[in-house]
Amino acid sequence: MMQSEILIQSLLEQERQIINQVEKLKSYDLHTLTWKENEISWSMLECLEHLNLYGDFYLPQIECNIKNSNTHADPQFKSGLLGNYFAKIMLPKENLNKMKTFKNKNPLNAKLDKTVIHKFITHQQQLLDLLNQARNVSLNKVKIQTSISSLIKLKLGDTFQFFINHIIRHVAQIDRIQAAMKNAK
Amino acid sequence: MKEIVELSDKIITIDRNEFLKVKGSIDNNVYYVESGSLRVFVMDDNEEQTIRFGYKENLIVSLDSFLTGKPSDLLIQAIKKTVIKVITKQQFDKFLERESNRNWWTKILENLVYQQMEREIDILTNSPKERYKRVLKRSPQLFQEIPSRHIANYLRMSPETLSRLKKS
Repeated sequence: MMQSEILIQSLLEQERQIINQVEKLKSYDLHTLTWKENEISWSMLECLEHLNLYGDFYLPQIECNIKNSNTHADPQFKSGLLGNYFAKIMLPKENLNKMKTFKNKNPLNAKLDKTVIHKFITHQQQLLDLLNQARNVSLNKVKIQTSISSLIKLKLGDTFQFFINHIIRHVAQIDRIQAAMKNAK
Repeated sequence: MKEIVELSDKIITIDRNEFLKVKGSIDNNVYYVESGSLRVFVMDDNEEQTIRFGYKENLIVSLDSFLTGKPSDLLIQAIKKTVIKVITKQQFDKFLERESNRNWWTKILENLVYQQMEREIDILTNSPKERYKRVLKRSPQLFQEIPSRHIANYLRMSPETLSRLKKS
């Protein structure tokens, strides 16, 4: 159980840090952004494109559900069992916990350019707006369909945390790619 | 100003285009700009409208959050690489316990009220040329520190108009 406003504040701060990390990538050249350690690993742009595919799925749905909700703000938010589990396993661990990527969310070897970064930043601005709008509805009662199955729905508050943790996971991956690139030189 | 800067025990650096504050966050810190420059703006229907600038030796505050402790719609973004000293509300409140410091702060706030009134007249002035002349007279340094396109936005005119006015 936590205060809804505290959750929103913490998510806004996580988003601020994500945007700042990815802003830096805008100054990199395409060669750096598409560099990969080996054939089956992702480049920095592929990480971002993977996140863009998730953004395309979740952001319109979150927006629509907030807009059409006639719930009221709850002072308190209580994480659901499943939502809490999903959010936690998304976070990167010390020893990289590999996860399987769903085929339709795998950008491997797609033809990508710098517009991927701009799209990612635009998505984050939308997400910031949605976090602000979410103050007017119930983070508990508004439910969002997951990309795993339309039968599995998560509370809006859990969806935000899950979605942002997933971004944090791949932004950390981008850091590792940069480190690997330095070592390879 | 020196006393207030010395309260800070945290220095942060933000690169060009990075955000110090995003829309909706509660931010009651006082920021002292060591070097670089920042802009404070709001988003209005996906259009950015610059409200204030901060550059070397300025204080930057999300004043609404600072005064009320509530979320603020303001965004603060670095125009170029910027080094900032952070003074927390707690540090600041402790500082204000001394009467001489309170007098200093009152002066700052009085000055701010005056600046805000000048800015209100700016915005209500119809002629782009007059708006430009007012700001140039008041803050010539602004034109040294801040790129033209941001100043044009602050003056509510297109970059082309500003460029034409500068030449005339």
